[in-house]
Amino acid sequence: MYISKVIIKNFKSFREPFCLNLNKGLNIIVGNNGTGKSTILEAIHLALSGLSNGRYFKNDLSEYFFNYDSVHEYLDSLDTNKPLPPPEISIEVFIGGNDLPFFEGDDNSTKRSECGICFKIALAEKFRGEYNDYVKDGGIAALPIEFYEVDWTTCARESITPRKIPIKSALIDSSSNRYKNGSDVYISHIIKNHLDEKDRNGLAHAHRRLQAAFIQDTSVVNVNNIINGLAKDEVNNKNIKLTVDLSSKDAWEASFLTSVEDIPFHHIGKGEQSIIKTKLALEHKKSKEANIILLEEPENHLSHSRLNQLIRNIHDKCSDKQILISTHSSFVANKLGLENLIIVENRKSVRLKDLPSTTQDFFEKIPGYDTLRLILCKKAILVEGDCDELLVQRAYMDSNGGRLPIQDQVDVISVGTSFLRFLQIAEKINKPVSVVTDNDGKPDAIQAKYADYLGVNSKPGIKICYDVNVDVGDLKIADKPFNYNTLEPKFLKSNGVENINRILGTKNKTEDQLHEYMKANKTDCALKIFETKEKLTFPQYILDAIEK
Amino acid sequence: MPSKNNKLIISAAGSGKTTYLVREALKVSHGNVLITTYTEANEQEIKKKFYDINGSIPINITIQTWFSFLLQHGVRPYQGTIFDGHIKGMLLVNGASGINYVNKQGISVPFTEEKDFQKHYFSKSDKLYSDKLAKFVVKCNTQSKGKVVDRLERIYNYVFVDEVQDLAGNDLEFLKLLFKSKINTTLVGDPRQVTYLTHNEKKYHNYKDGNIKQFILDKCAKECTIDETTLGRSHRNNAEICSFSSKLYPLLEPSIPCDCIECRSSSSTHNGVFLVSSGDIDAYRVKYNPVVLRHQLAIEPEWNYGNCKGLGFDRVLIYPTETISKYLCDGRLSKEVKDKSGNIKHKNAFDIAKFYVALTRARYSVAIVCNNFSQEYIDGLIKWSSKGD
Repeated sequence: MYISKVIIKNFKSFREPFCLNLNKGLNIIVGNNGTGKSTILEAIHLALSGLSNGRYFKNDLSEYFFNYDSVHEYLDSLDTNKPLPPPEISIEVFIGGNDLPFFEGDDNSTKRSECGICFKIALAEKFRGEYNDYVKDGGIAALPIEFYEVDWTTCARESITPRKIPIKSALIDSSSNRYKNGSDVYISHIIKNHLDEKDRNGLAHAHRRLQAAFIQDTSVVNVNNIINGLAKDEVNNKNIKLTVDLSSKDAWEASFLTSVEDIPFHHIGKGEQSIIKTKLALEHKKSKEANIILLEEPENHLSHSRLNQLIRNIHDKCSDKQILISTHSSFVANKLGLENLIIVENRKSVRLKDLPSTTQDFFEKIPGYDTLRLILCKKAILVEGDCDELLVQRAYMDSNGGRLPIQDQVDVISVGTSFLRFLQIAEKINKPVSVVTDNDGKPDAIQAKYADYLGVNSKPGIKICYDVNVDVGDLKIADKPFNYNTLEPKFLKSNGVENINRILGTKNKTEDQLHEYMKANKTDCALKIFETKEKLTFPQYILDAIEK
Repeated sequence: MPSKNNKLIISAAGSGKTTYLVREALKVSHGNVLITTYTEANEQEIKKKFYDINGSIPINITIQTWFSFLLQHGVRPYQGTIFDGHIKGMLLVNGASGINYVNKQGISVPFTEEKDFQKHYFSKSDKLYSDKLAKFVVKCNTQSKGKVVDRLERIYNYVFVDEVQDLAGNDLEFLKLLFKSKINTTLVGDPRQVTYLTHNEKKYHNYKDGNIKQFILDKCAKECTIDETTLGRSHRNNAEICSFSSKLYPLLEPSIPCDCIECRSSSSTHNGVFLVSSGDIDAYRVKYNPVVLRHQLAIEPEWNYGNCKGLGFDRVLIYPTETISKYLCDGRLSKEVKDKSGNIKHKNAFDIAKFYVALTRARYSVAIVCNNFSQEYIDGLIKWSSKGD
């Protein structure tokens, strides 16, 4: 049993229906902050369990679960002559396979035969009358949440309770600061889920003996005598003494503390805490029964090597389960396999498997780092090599008050010759991208190569920048004609021999000498240009690329 | 799973039909079982029987009424294939539903499915008419290319339909779909005990009034076998009651009392069908303490004929209707009536099915109230008098 698809509508940041297809085993959601990764996990967990933040959602229902824009559009419309219907949240969870016929039917937003459950938060039919009166009175500034109800149905239009949902989820959030001290809640997890009745009673008895010994200790007896003497003067002649709380059956649990190597749990490193929390959560009875494990940003507070350890743990513990991990760590994504990657961006989801198979192969081979950079930045500038990267960065700084592009979430990525592969991903996730490429003396070839992105085929947000002018000259290096149409000669052309000599600290080299020098000392020259305090002039196609 | 087997078991009154069904269902250890029946009273009876026999209803067994079953598994899952709106449930109707107007000849003209889909199937409150339920289900199945039955096959391995004589029209069409599916379908019913009709439809008109046996023979002989022996003996009624009640259905096999020792170990000496004059009623009731059955307006602890189906009492006292009293004298089951165009038609002289139900409630004795004690009566009736007894 596994989740094959989730459709979220009007829940938090997802206003329009957001559809996410899931694999049987591992699924990794990557995306920038604020793209809704955690919301997806929260929505799935909510629809399957009725729990939000570990509490029954029904009691915590508030307008903040609704999409902000739709709530405000609704509230604004109430004062006009065209009031909108009250917004509804819907989360549909579709289940793969055909062993749950009870949940099959065509009652879902796809209108096709599916197996699954639909979770809805909507105006309760029984309150329609009250709602109408309420709206008529006017002056409504908040969603009338008291008239809403939470409701689960199967695709066969059967009302069900969350207990009846056959697919169980466990949400593990190692970063949560929900509890005062992480230890109390985890120790009670251990006690409740890993100890049997006999062990538990043994622990309770030992605790009681400890209490008895405490009361009988001479210093405590002494203290009690003092207290009693003080209170005796009062009108009510009753004994007052210091004792230990025995009021609730489980009170003793609170006085336990987990410690790691003699250090109390909440005093150990945050990283260690998250590993232990995650491990405990995976061992939890509920996780063992669960069919899907939802794991939120496991990389929090962890070094690469500890993360590695944790990932291996997750992998081993959950080999037969469906796992959904949200992350912005390229390491997590890379380690767990790019084929499981789901990119969430601009309320859209893309899988690498949706890309042409050759591109998919390519990205599976390269380290995931660059892929994720493209996914996580706001805008990407793709360049051929490291030197181009430095020059483009400098150009960006010069026209943006000295800010590095990355400070504006613009990432300059050097991709060698694989421009087209990156463009295919960018196109899928609507990511603005500029390509900075040499024309190598053959603008026709460039036009042919990028034919899918130029002229009539141009795509919004995707810019192909190259110099339309072809420069020529007689220089030969090692009997081969010099290529005047790469970035360095273009840069020399726009800044002049004199300036470049000054920047590079080369003395009175001629143009040809500079060409030769810059070709032989690419990185050095790029660094010097990057760091120089001189005013620089950049070729137009570079300026086009960094333009916002 | 054993090889697929559909059967119709024709039962006699008091043959232990419910007990049989419950025992059959309990035999199923692998797979899910649905037991469905027309009336809520019988649904309760089946549930009660489970507690009597088994102490609980196993998790793999579902008991629900025919309408509730059709609504849950026939209509709801794939209603979207033929209808886009919201269905608010079912509206129970007795006569034909979805009537457009009544013409000058007094004939009701219904909304047609083709022209007025919504009004044909639904009431103004968006409820599906009970008599169109099965029709809607069959249509859902056709439109969804068999998804309704396909889904059902994976939910239930066995379907038992109790009181099958109450089904008619498109219900039968739906039964045909079940026969052709992977589901083992068992139908149980007593054609003599039709007291309700789910439909007043033209479809399969010939097979109404409990003629389910003929339907199977004509339409589904290949898919379904007929068993008239398993439940052919009455564990309840004695020989006198069996033979007197069988007179009401001369075309069917007479029911015979079960002759096992357990069934016949009674020490009752007052056995048979008796006539009691109205003046003797009190004396009779004091002596034998019978359960009183009336045609209508019974107040507890008395019963209406129609409501006591499935129940058994040691002795009953029946207040007959006028037409029943007439039958007891002349023995005629049908009467001739002229219809509007002047043709002579044969109609039942009285509500035979209900009278049959009333008679067959008793284990030992049936007493029928009569006003004219001195008259001649049909065979099988013994005149009882407080003086002569």
